[in-house]
Amino acid sequence: MSRTPSLDALTVDALVRYGPLATATPLIEEHFDRPVPHVALVSELDDIRGCAAHTAVVLHPVLTHGVWAVESALRLSWERAASCVVTPGLPGIGESTAQLAKRLRMPVFVVPDDSARCALDLAAAVANPESVRAKVIAQCAMLFGERSTARGILGVINTEVPGVEVALVAEDGAVLAGRTAAATAGGDQVRVEVAGPDGKPWARMVASLVQGGHVRETVRSILRLARAPLVASVARERLEVVHRSARAGAALDVLLGAEARGEQSLLGPSGLEAEAVTELGWQPADLPIAVFLRAATEAGPDVPTVTPGVMSAWQQVFGDRPLVPRAAGWASWWSGTSCSPEEVRDRLRRGLSRMRSPIALVGGVGTVGEQPGSLRTSLVQAELASAGARGQSVGHVELFTELGERLVLACLPLAELARSAEVALAELLAASDRETLVETLRAVLDSGGSTGQAATRLRVHRNTVLGRLERIRGYGIDPDSADGRLALHLAAYALSTHGPAPAR
Amino acid sequence: MSRVTQLTAADADAMLLGAEFFGASIAGHHLEHFRSWLREVLLRRGPVPVVPPAELPAETQCAAIGVAGSMIAVVELPPSGDEPQGVAAALENQLDRKLGAVMAMNAATINALLPVIAAAELDLPIVDCDGMGRILPLISQTSYTVAGLPLTPMTATSAVRDQMSVVAEAQRAELLVRAMLNTAGGWLLCGLYPTTARQLVTGAIEGSISRVVRVGRVLAAARDRDHILRGLGSEVGATWLGGGQVVEVGPSGKRGAEPNQPANPTTVVVRERGSSGRVIRIEAQNELLLAVVDGVLVTAVPDLICLLDRNGLRIQGLERTNVGDEVDVLMVPAAPVWHTPAGLALAGPQAFGLPVRHPKEPVE
Repeated sequence: MSRTPSLDALTVDALVRYGPLATATPLIEEHFDRPVPHVALVSELDDIRGCAAHTAVVLHPVLTHGVWAVESALRLSWERAASCVVTPGLPGIGESTAQLAKRLRMPVFVVPDDSARCALDLAAAVANPESVRAKVIAQCAMLFGERSTARGILGVINTEVPGVEVALVAEDGAVLAGRTAAATAGGDQVRVEVAGPDGKPWARMVASLVQGGHVRETVRSILRLARAPLVASVARERLEVVHRSARAGAALDVLLGAEARGEQSLLGPSGLEAEAVTELGWQPADLPIAVFLRAATEAGPDVPTVTPGVMSAWQQVFGDRPLVPRAAGWASWWSGTSCSPEEVRDRLRRGLSRMRSPIALVGGVGTVGEQPGSLRTSLVQAELASAGARGQSVGHVELFTELGERLVLACLPLAELARSAEVALAELLAASDRETLVETLRAVLDSGGSTGQAATRLRVHRNTVLGRLERIRGYGIDPDSADGRLALHLAAYALSTHGPAPAR
Repeated sequence: MSRVTQLTAADADAMLLGAEFFGASIAGHHLEHFRSWLREVLLRRGPVPVVPPAELPAETQCAAIGVAGSMIAVVELPPSGDEPQGVAAALENQLDRKLGAVMAMNAATINALLPVIAAAELDLPIVDCDGMGRILPLISQTSYTVAGLPLTPMTATSAVRDQMSVVAEAQRAELLVRAMLNTAGGWLLCGLYPTTARQLVTGAIEGSISRVVRVGRVLAAARDRDHILRGLGSEVGATWLGGGQVVEVGPSGKRGAEPNQPANPTTVVVRERGSSGRVIRIEAQNELLLAVVDGVLVTAVPDLICLLDRNGLRIQGLERTNVGDEVDVLMVPAAPVWHTPAGLALAGPQAFGLPVRHPKEPVE
């Protein structure tokens, strides 16, 4: 008889869920993760001394003269590192025996019928684990059909498949559902890739196994079965987000339209607007502070395309706080009575740093609304501030009140300006060090023509700046020309924030 | 260990307490009027000499006087007072010899007191020995049987003065007595194990009467629990197995009464305080048969298991044990004869239908 558990052995849990122990009553519900490669039917206490480790010790009725005999068998089984003890039912087995089982960490099962029959059934199951595993797969397949979320589907595997923990892990390593421990645990793992509704790689299921062997194939089969319902659940969630965002956008249009017409209580509890607010589950904010998110760069997918991902990421960080898609980004608001714009900015910064958005975002925060429910002005400010945040680092959040004269720049169509500048300054941009020359030109113009200040800002020697200016002039560009200085300054600004990639 | 040389009326209290201790399973039955009876007889008849077997003339005719049957029945339907003399006289007639000394079948509960009463009434010494060193349910479960001493000729009298005599082999005599008990009122006062002092030297558990008195004196002088535990430890080698609250008293398993055992199995669970407190399970049938601590068999019959009531500082019998009681569980090792193969075969756990070896029995 083997003294080490087989890799193919069923666990106590599997025997409880799908095997002969399904009809037995457990005295404790713990330590079910042990493998059961052996079964022994014992009719004398001394027989237990000869049992191999990880044996399911089944007590014959002739042995169970009293609860004392069961407890003695429990103790001897513990000394032999048995996996569990199965006893026929008899009066007196109860709390005290359960307490002992708990202290010895030994699962004990009471069978209502003949324990000898149970031993035979256990031996059959242990000898042919594939039949039990087929039951596990069938059970999972049935339950997958009853779950509609990724969490639910992963939950089926985590609760129904003994000795296995599984997590759904995104491409960037973040755990989307299931048990985090499965993704971080070392040891034996099974991985199955999951494509998104668009057919592109989206995530993978990672299962951590207590034991390997044939269990690997069983788990792999179950994970493959879970793929289709997972994709369906993701598609359903995205559709829901799109639908919800469309309704939210329409409702916000209604609210802002009403405010534009000078009607009262934009987010207040009255009329059509109130109905829209209620429908969306928004909390009417008195004196709202608007925030606006937008892509950190102009290039990239448009707002409708990334809205599901952005909203999903937003909800993970900010919960039920509304986020409404607009033409240039996404709008939301806080209550100005409970916090200041600065506090909103800080919260938003922290949130953006944690958000797993499909695109890089920056944000803007408006001022406190002028009257209860007045969102329009604050929202315009937030949108401008978010435009001003572009060109800064990813996740930067700009306060409208700190925008100052940069407000004007924030309104400029910088991408178009950059494209014009590429034509007007084509010769300069053909240079191999065009990025350095453009930065130098902008620094000199930002410094009012002072080469000394520009050198300090660029952290180079003044002679270097002078040399670069000579080269710039060599391309037919005169920074000192009063007629062209404004256009040249705008072109340098647009190129430095939205220009083409550096030459290689 | 100090030897008691005579018993006087002043020893009646200690005799009663000691007798209760060695009859641990039924301690708490009201034996007070037996103490009164003992005291009255000793006052009237004078002290009774307590003599070790070896100090008696070797051919001194001895016999045990003791009750067979239910102790509750004896308490409810007590003897008239002259039964010991009647039983002794009947046995003398049967033997055609005069008794020279009286001994105890088992120096525990009533059977520790009645031989002394008989000895006093017959003006004979009591031999400082018994056949059990405790109480066991069968009259054949004695060291006398282990030594091969015959149980019969035996005479007996009932509560209604039926007179019986039996001549049979020990196991047959056991069955006959059980049959007679059914119609005799629940108890029989017996004169049995007629033998000589010479045979008692090797066939008896010596010093039992002295031990009853010494233990009784410890319990009578008890000031607190520690005092009792220390005293019992030094007098009879008692070991503390654990203590706590009784959490369960009830029938034990599906096991029915063993054919030769006059009671049903019972279990008592004592749980120690705290989340890691041990579970002490005591299995009983007539006697407290074995103690299992966290699943480990720590002691078994014929060793004596006692429950000491922590509040009343008295030995507590099985029938008086209830859920919620605070008790200490003690073990007193049996006389060496009981740990021999023959002794364990007669009074070990397997004799009570328990398929387990005594902890002192070597593994084959």
